[in-house]
Amino acid sequence: MKAIELNRLSKRYGKHQAVSDLTFSVEEGEVYGFIGPNGAGKSTTIRTLLNFIYPTSGSAKIFGKDIITDTKEIKQEVGYLPSEAHYYENMKVRELLNYSASFYKKSPAKKKIEDLSERLELDLSKRFEDLSFGNRKKVGIVQALLHEPRILIMDEPTGGLDPLMQHTFFDLLLEEKKKGVTIFFSSHILSEVQKMCNRVAIIKEGRLIANDTIENLTKNQFKNVTILLEEGQSLNLGLEGIIQQEQIGQTLSILFRGDTHALIHALSQQSYRDLVIEEPSLDEIFMHFYQTEPNGGAEQ
Amino acid sequence: MIFRQEFKWNLRGLLIWSIILGGLVFLMMQIYPDFAKQQENLEALMEAYPEGIKKAFNMDQISLGTVLGFYAVEGYMLITLIGSIYVVLLAGNIVAKEESENTIEFLLSKPISRTAMLTQKILLLMVNIILFNVLVSLINLAAFMIVDDGSFKFLPFLLMSIAPILLHFTFASIAFFLSTLLKKGRQILSVTVGLVFITYFLQVISSVSDQLEVLKYFSPFEYVDPADIIVNETLNGLYILFTTGIILICTVAAFFYYKRKDIAV
Repeated sequence: MKAIELNRLSKRYGKHQAVSDLTFSVEEGEVYGFIGPNGAGKSTTIRTLLNFIYPTSGSAKIFGKDIITDTKEIKQEVGYLPSEAHYYENMKVRELLNYSASFYKKSPAKKKIEDLSERLELDLSKRFEDLSFGNRKKVGIVQALLHEPRILIMDEPTGGLDPLMQHTFFDLLLEEKKKGVTIFFSSHILSEVQKMCNRVAIIKEGRLIANDTIENLTKNQFKNVTILLEEGQSLNLGLEGIIQQEQIGQTLSILFRGDTHALIHALSQQSYRDLVIEEPSLDEIFMHFYQTEPNGGAEQ
Repeated sequence: MIFRQEFKWNLRGLLIWSIILGGLVFLMMQIYPDFAKQQENLEALMEAYPEGIKKAFNMDQISLGTVLGFYAVEGYMLITLIGSIYVVLLAGNIVAKEESENTIEFLLSKPISRTAMLTQKILLLMVNIILFNVLVSLINLAAFMIVDDGSFKFLPFLLMSIAPILLHFTFASIAFFLSTLLKKGRQILSVTVGLVFITYFLQVISSVSDQLEVLKYFSPFEYVDPADIIVNETLNGLYILFTTGIILICTVAAFFYYKRKDIAV
């Protein structure tokens, strides 16, 4: 069963088209990254999925249920972590978590609150007015996991967490993943996406420009070619599939997408001091999508 | 869930407002025995007042020489006017505070429909308004028992206890509607508190000037005028209809609008 299914989902604010024609789906049990820079429409999409805002056109389903008409049932299954967690300032953490739990059919064991907050080093007796941004985020994490959701929807989940906490957080996510929980999160920190996700969707100015597994995006299509040249030498392979070529000093960097055999063949005709061919990081692919292909040139 | 939590949060405010307001009226009523003793001097003094002032404070229709008459002129105004301020402060914030403090995202991510959310918030308003009036009326009743000179009648007292509830519901429904519409608590407060004062003065003006009498229909304060209650020992049916109409329209509009609202924090 599909965990999330978007069908030409669009959202317009007045003249501003925040999200256009988004169509993609997330399988149950998958860890799915939703990436794009600030203002690309990630949060808008997530808020539409949770029915905070209404789509202008198109539709979406979560576990086969319509996001508008069945939103209440959907939320029994969703754990949501907002990018900036805001809570009631005069409440204590423990009170808030109990309040949160009281909305769900499945009432969580008291122990779960204790366990989670212990792992995240969260003080349950503090009031929100005394909590830092990072600590509020931790409350958000506990609050999202408490009722054992089938799907986690998270908007910039690691913002505000220190590296140690991020590590604990990813451990928690892996445990959820093992239980079969679907994880859908937006991010602009690509290393964490690359570490966690099976598949990613890249969104730019509200449009989907790539939607593939990380392997396909990094392995099959792109090669980073770094050639160390002789002094004073310059080299032009003149090969189809060179997307980017830049020479700094004696180092020539090429981003290549195409037939690897043709590349090797062309290289064998040349002389050079050294050669490295590697997979680019998701970062580089992302930059590529953003800088060189304004219309979104994913091969689909 | 929301109801319980909101009740907890608002209990202190409820107690403070009702005890202070009730206490104020209680103290005021303690003057009554002295006041009644000097009835004759007083009536002479009253004659000296300009007609307009007497009309404005209902003194042309009500005798200050009875407990309830004295209350109607001196205390009832406090309950209706100050009570309405309490009510619009409460109702104007009840939904908007979630948006202005960004906690709405928390609530919306829970398995509860927007309609159920508003219903619980409305329930909180109703319960708080009723409790507020019951508390104040009980304190009033105690005051009446202490100072009564035999002129106390239960039915007008009961009506004068119920009428402010209708008035408070009216203002609460208007403030509640604005609370679903606007995000900034301060805007709502200035509009609603302004509305309370303006409609209060509309009533005063309409009772002073014959030419402006028609204005009274625009003031909820007129709908619960104590002179009517004391003289006729009943609430005006037409006015009850108006009140119910305003409450229904505002509430339905709030639900209707909020259900389709885009809530982005």
